[in-house]
Order: sequence, then structure tokens, then C-alpha cells
Amino acid sequence: MNLYDELKQAVIDGDEDMVAELSEKAVAEGTSPVDAVQEGLVKGIEVIGEAWKAGEAFLPDVMMSAEAMKAGLAILEPEIAKLGMGDGNVKGKIVIGTVEGDIHDIGKNIMGAMFTAAGYKVFDLGTDIKVEEFVKKAREVGADIIGASALLTTTMIGQKQIIQYLKEQNLRGQFRVFVGGGPTSQSWANEIGADGWAETADEAVELANRILAR
Amino acid sequence: MLPKYNVLTDEQVRAIHEESIRILSEVGMEFGYGPALAVFQKEDQNVEGNRVHFTREFIEDKVRLAPAEFTLHARNPEHNLVCGGDHIIYMPGYGAPFIHEVDGSRRKTMMQDYDNFVKLAGASKNLHMTGGTVAEPQDIHDEIRHLKMLYSSIKNSDKCFMGSAEGRERAEDSIEIASILFGGREVIKEKPVLISLINSLTPLKYDGRMLGALMAYAEAGQALVIASLVMAGSTGPAALAGTLALQNAEVLAGIALAQSINPGTPVVYGSTSALSDMHSGSLSIGSPECALFISASAQIARFYKVPSRSGGGLNDSKIVDAQAGYESMMTLMASTVTGINFVLHTAGILQYFMAMSYEKFMMDDEMAGMLLHYMNGFHFDEDGMAFDVIAKVGPGGHFLTQKHTRKNHRREFRTAELSDRVAYDSWAKEKIDTNERAHKKWQKVLANYVPPALDAEVDKKLQEFIAKRAAKLM
Repeated sequence: MNLYDELKQAVIDGDEDMVAELSEKAVAEGTSPVDAVQEGLVKGIEVIGEAWKAGEAFLPDVMMSAEAMKAGLAILEPEIAKLGMGDGNVKGKIVIGTVEGDIHDIGKNIMGAMFTAAGYKVFDLGTDIKVEEFVKKAREVGADIIGASALLTTTMIGQKQIIQYLKEQNLRGQFRVFVGGGPTSQSWANEIGADGWAETADEAVELANRILAR
Repeated sequence: MLPKYNVLTDEQVRAIHEESIRILSEVGMEFGYGPALAVFQKEDQNVEGNRVHFTREFIEDKVRLAPAEFTLHARNPEHNLVCGGDHIIYMPGYGAPFIHEVDGSRRKTMMQDYDNFVKLAGASKNLHMTGGTVAEPQDIHDEIRHLKMLYSSIKNSDKCFMGSAEGRERAEDSIEIASILFGGREVIKEKPVLISLINSLTPLKYDGRMLGALMAYAEAGQALVIASLVMAGSTGPAALAGTLALQNAEVLAGIALAQSINPGTPVVYGSTSALSDMHSGSLSIGSPECALFISASAQIARFYKVPSRSGGGLNDSKIVDAQAGYESMMTLMASTVTGINFVLHTAGILQYFMAMSYEKFMMDDEMAGMLLHYMNGFHFDEDGMAFDVIAKVGPGGHFLTQKHTRKNHRREFRTAELSDRVAYDSWAKEKIDTNERAHKKWQKVLANYVPPALDAEVDKKLQEFIAKRAAKLM
């Protein structure tokens, strides 16, 4: 097996340590970091993504592969940057978090993994995130999408506040805002003027693919 | 009453207890509320930041202070409820943000839904209390929702109801409202009238909101359900025994806190752990694993000699269909035959607690009636053995014209209220399924329901207090 195949397999296995080790090796051996990502990591995550869609892989498989992929990117991306190349192979950038006053994060974590698996760069802020923090991070990384999660009927309002804040700051046109979480719905998304809502993580990825392709 | 059905051996129950003690002492838990940390500090537990490591003695000694049973008082004393022992308390679902309609469409829950479910529970002979947050009224501002819900619970039924667990301030409002209704704080401290649902934040945390409410209710001598819902595979291990140990650790810590604040506080050991579907990640409660957790919770609570809460008509279906029926019967029957005392979510739940349905409510009410009858078991008295009538009819006769039959069937048989038992031709005229039948039924029950009168003077005081608080909170 060559190094790319090994990287691919380590991502499929969800073996974070092995991916990190192989990525370091790629850097040490002077292998093209772009190829290591494209021919190794991405190929692996594609296999797992397909298997998940077919119902053959389960959530822990996808999430661990996403974690492994992230570990590889953390090592290879700085090398790509050194070569003066941007992240042209990234489908899009998404900043995600659970809104202020809400500490539930399982759904958001699953969504983050699905986006990573689909080739997006994910910036996860965590839980109980203020409106300003979402927007600050989105500006800092040049995000395409801000994804706000809420599990309580009492905290959903935080999603609306993000959109209001963006309008106040004259930034509404810069970011797409996705909302999700148990008590949310398409009609809620319409009501607050969000760009996207999905009930499940994979639907959210498909939605992002469609919207960003426009 | 039938004997309790067990799913664990005594050794297994003890093993769960030992594992929980190990989790509490070696791993510890986080508490996001200063006053709760201060209580543990005072009790000489190892507190570092928000993290608390417990000693075996503390947990075991405190849990022993919890009463084995207690009486929850209603504004109509005929509806007072004993929680614990062989008693079972059924009530509606709790906290759903959506209503699923008869045609499968979905909408937000409104105040009207809250009123309706309280009335349907008030009218039911199978539901013993009206519960709490029977629908999240999203047309009412968050700040004053608890006030409106409590008033509706009081006004639309005279059965027991639940208090708000949304932080200390809302718990204090609930206590004040109950005091007005029952004649003062001293009265309700003697005779608890509120019971409230305190949830841990699995794994191994409690947030400030829940802890604030827990402390307020414990100080006021009101009853608490201390609950942990572990989603095995996501918020807990993909291991059923390990999940039980984790759930148990969280509940024990909550009970110990309540007993430290006010020894003898009535508490209910409350848990409905379930699993995360390993494909979508979503909660699945209409599952055999959930039924096992329900059953084990009943047994573990018996081990600690505290009443238990779990189960209900739990399912993952989106509409009243076969899946809603078979899953709900499995979990409600598991709750009932294993000896769960306080069955939150008995009626109305669809899609893993996300929705309430009027049609489901009526179907569950029927199941509750069937199970209460099932639990009556057999009568072994003279009428129950019925020798005389067997002898009188003799070989080849029939029993339909016997006095014994006419009288005794009313005791021995339950009349179905929703289930269809007619012959094919009668059914085939309209071909109405359970969903449609339930749809007609709830509208009829609601139209015929007259809420029991509330004393005008008390009503006025309640309204004044609520208006005053609402003005301040908005």
C-alpha cells in the first residue's frame, strides 16, 4: 500500500492517531500535501460517506472518520498554506454552535461531522454561544454558512437574533444562516428569515450543497 | 395487584449500585450552580470548581432519608395520590413543542392545546393527574408561560399537577401559586401539592436552571422527580448495564442533594434512558432497550426504597399507526408490570417526545385503562371462582342468562372504550381506523367536559398574583 492508500484506509478506520502519524510522515518525506489530502483523506471520507448513505456504516463510523480527517488536515493544511495555496479544495466553510442559554450539543456535533465528511471546513464554537461570537468567528474565517442549533423552545429565539444582528451590522448578505434542532421547523426558519433548515444532518449537507452551488 | 416483574437479579442490582458509587467517587459530577456546590462543601464532599467527587457514605446515608412513599394533595381530596408502594399514577406527556394532527401534519403547540390536554386528562378515568407542560404553549411569552400553564392546570381540573422546573424563580412562582390555592406555605410544606421534573444533563452534569428549581422545591417541602435520560451510544455508553450505572449515579447525586437541603424531601427516582439510533443519532424510545431501562429503573428504585418514575406510551412514530400502538404498549406495559409508580408521558406522545397528538392521547388512555384492568389480576372469592353458577348451568348450557353473569361481568371485564370489537360488516360500512376513531372521540370528550368549579375568592387571588408577576416579568 502506498502512503495515500494508507491515509485513505486510516480515515475509513476512523483511526485518528494513525492518520496523524501518516500525515506527519507525508510532510517529512516531502510528499505533496495537496495530494495527501485529495488522494488520501478525501478518498477515505468519501468511502465512509457512501457507506453511511447505503445504511452500511453507522454514525460512530462517520463521526470517527471525520475526527480522523480533521487530525490529518490539522497537519497537512499548514503545509498547503506554506506552498501559497489556499483551501481551494474545500467545498465551503461553516461556523456552527448551539445558541446562548442552550447546552445541548449532540445534534450539532453530528451535523459538524456530516459536514466534515462531505468536504466542508467546520468551525465548531461549542454550546451557549452568543450572537456576537457566531458572527465574529464567521467574519474571521470567511464562512459561507452560520449554523445555529437550539433544542429548547425557550432558546430558539437566539437563532432569530443572529439574523437580526447580521442585518444591524449590514452583514446579512455575507453569510447564509442555517437553523436546526428539535423544536425548530421550516415554518420557524421562514418566520425568522433563515436561509436554510433541515431536520437531519444529512439533509442539512444536501441543502448546503444546493444553496452554495447556486 | 399482580406481583412485580423483574429483569435484574438482586446481585445485578447491587452491581449497578457499586458501579454508580464508583462513578460518583472516581469520576465525579459537575454542578453548574454555586448554592448546590456550597451544600456539597458543607457536607464535606470533595469540591473542585464545579466538579464534585462523592463518598459512598454520603450518597448512601442521604438516599436513605428519602421516604418510601408520600401523598400528593389535590384541590379535590378525592384525587389525592399516594406515590410509591403498589400505587401507579398515569398522566399526560410532558414538554412537547409540536402537535401532530390526525392527517399527519405538524404545527406548533399553543395555549389552547395546553388547556385541552388538561381537560382531557381531567375527564379521563384512567389518568390520575394532569401532569405538567402537557404542551409548550409557544403563543405565550417564555417569561410568563409557567404562570399561564399553572393557572390552566388549576382552573381546568381538580387533579394533582406539576410545578415549573425552569429555574429557581419559576419554581418560587409555582410554590407561591400553590400556596394561594391550598392556604399557605406551611400547609403545603406539611402536605406536598407540587411535584416537579428535575433532569440531569447527561453525562454527569446538572445545570443551574434545574438545580435552582430543585433547591427551591426541596426547601419548600415539595416533591421532586429526579431524572436522568441517558441516550445510550451518544450521551452514554453503547452498553445497557453501563448506561444503567451512569443513569443511577446521576439520580443518586440529585436525590442526595435534595435530602441534604431538606431531609425527608419526597423524591421519585426517575429515569427513562433510551438509545441513540446509530444511523440518524436521534433518540429512540419505542425500543426494546428503552423497555429494559424502564423495567430496571423500577427495580433499582425498589432497592433504594424510593418511588420510581419512568416509561409511558413511548414510541418513535409520527402518527397514530401500528408502530405507535405496538411500541407504546410495550413501554407502557413494561412500566406497569414492573412497578413504576409515576408514569409521566402515559398519554399523547409521538416521535420520541417531540410531539403530542390528541388521537394518540385517546389511544393511550385506552391502553392505560386496559393495563389498570390487567393489574387487577384475578378474583379468588366466591363470585370469582363461580362454582355455584358452573354447577347450576351444568354440561352443555350457557351462562348468558344467569344473574351471576349479569352482575359479575361488570367487575371482571373491562368495556373497551376506543377499541373496535364489532363484526366485519358493521365495521366495513365506514372502515374507520383507530386514528379516525380517536379523532372523533377526543372532540366529543372535550365538548362534554365541564371543569370542576374553583372557589371564586381563590380564583381572584390567583389571577391577581399572576397579573402582578406577569407585569413584572414582561
